[in-house]
Amino acid sequence: MSNTPRSINGEPLTTKLAMRMEDSLHAFAVRAATFIGELDVPYSEEFDGHDFSATHIIAYLGSEPVGAVRVRWLQSFAMPERLAVIQRFRGHNIGGLLLERCRQLAESRGCSTLYVQVRPADVTYWEKQGWQRLASEPAGAGAKQMIAMVRAVDPSKPMRGSDAPEAVTLRGDAPSPAASGRRERASN
Amino acid sequence: MTTTKPPVPNLAPEVTIKLAATSDEMLQCFALRAAVFMGEQQCPYDEEFDGNDYTATHVILYVDGEPAGSMRLRWFQSFCKFERCVVLRRYRALGLHHQLNAWCKEFARRKGYTKAYVHLQKRHLAMMEKEGFRLVDDRIFNFSDHQYYAVYCDLVPPQDAVTLQTVPMVVNRPEDRLDEEGVLEKSAARGATNPHVHAERRAN
Repeated sequence: MSNTPRSINGEPLTTKLAMRMEDSLHAFAVRAATFIGELDVPYSEEFDGHDFSATHIIAYLGSEPVGAVRVRWLQSFAMPERLAVIQRFRGHNIGGLLLERCRQLAESRGCSTLYVQVRPADVTYWEKQGWQRLASEPAGAGAKQMIAMVRAVDPSKPMRGSDAPEAVTLRGDAPSPAASGRRERASN
Repeated sequence: MTTTKPPVPNLAPEVTIKLAATSDEMLQCFALRAAVFMGEQQCPYDEEFDGNDYTATHVILYVDGEPAGSMRLRWFQSFCKFERCVVLRRYRALGLHHQLNAWCKEFARRKGYTKAYVHLQKRHLAMMEKEGFRLVDDRIFNFSDHQYYAVYCDLVPPQDAVTLQTVPMVVNRPEDRLDEEGVLEKSAARGATNPHVHAERRAN
C-alpha cells in the first residue's frame, strides 16, 4: 500500500506469517484485546474453531504486535477475516498493510479472488480499497448484518463483480453470515 | 459505526472455576488477559506476557460455560502469589473476583501453603482488606503505569493438606481434584508391566 508508512515514530512496521505457537499467541492477543476487550464479543464467538485451519498474519511495530488478520482458504476464494488493529495504533493504515499481505499470499498460492464479510457501516471504506459488493442487500439481521464483498487478487484482471454473483461460490464450511457479520473492521 | 448493547447478563449464572489443564483452557486465560489488560488498559504485549506464563498455574472461571475470568498463581517457598486477576467487563457487576480469590485460597491451602501474596493497586486495597489481606510493609512501587502495594493473607492448611506423609498417589492427582481418583491410579491395575523392566531383568 503506497500510503502505508514503513515506520511510525522511528519504529519499523512489519508483517509476518505466524509460523510458531508464540506468533499465533500474538495474533490471538491482538484479537482478544480488540474484539473481546473493546467490542465485547463473547470468547466463544471470537475463537470459533477455525483458528487451527487458517493462516494468521501479524503486524508488528518494532517488536510489539499491533494488528492481525486470519485467512481461510476455500477452493473459490481466500477469505481474510478477524482483521484487528489495537486501538491506539489506528490511523496508520495497518489494516491496509495486513490486507495487502493477504493479497500477496493469495497470489502466491494461485488464488484469484478475495472474499470478506463486512459491516454495512464499513462498506464505504472497503469500496475505497477496491472491493465490490457481492450482493446489493445485506444478509442477516440487526447487529449481525453483513455485506459480502470481493476483490480480484490481481488488480490487472478485474472481477466481473457484483453483476455476476455466480462467479463466487460459498463453500460448506463458511460460517453463516449471522455468525460473522460484525467481524471485519476497518482499521482506520 | 453502530454500537450494540451488550446482552443483559443472567443475574443467577452458573459459575464454575477450574485449573486450566489443556492448551485450549490456557488460551482462554491468555485471551481474557489480552482483552482486559491490552484491550482496556493499553498494556504492551511484552509486559502482559512477561515470561512467567509457562512456570505458573492458570485458573479459569466460566459463567454459563463462557470464559469470564482468570487468575495466575506462582509458587514460592513461603507463599503463593496471586496475579493477573481478570474478570471481563460484561461480567464485572457479579463480584466474581471474590469467588476467584476464594477458590485460589482454597487451592493453595490444600497444597499446604500458609500465605497468599498479591501486588495490589491502591484503589483495590479496601476491597482486599475485607478478604483478609493486609499490607506486608509500607513500600510502594510502580510498574506498567500503576502504583502498587504488597499485601498478604494468612491461610490455614486443612487436615488433609499435602505433606510428605500424604499417600503418594494422591500427590499425583490433578491438583484441583485431590479428592478424586486420578488417571494414574486407574493405570495401577496394569501392574508394573512395562517391557523395559523385563529387559533389565534379562540383562541381569
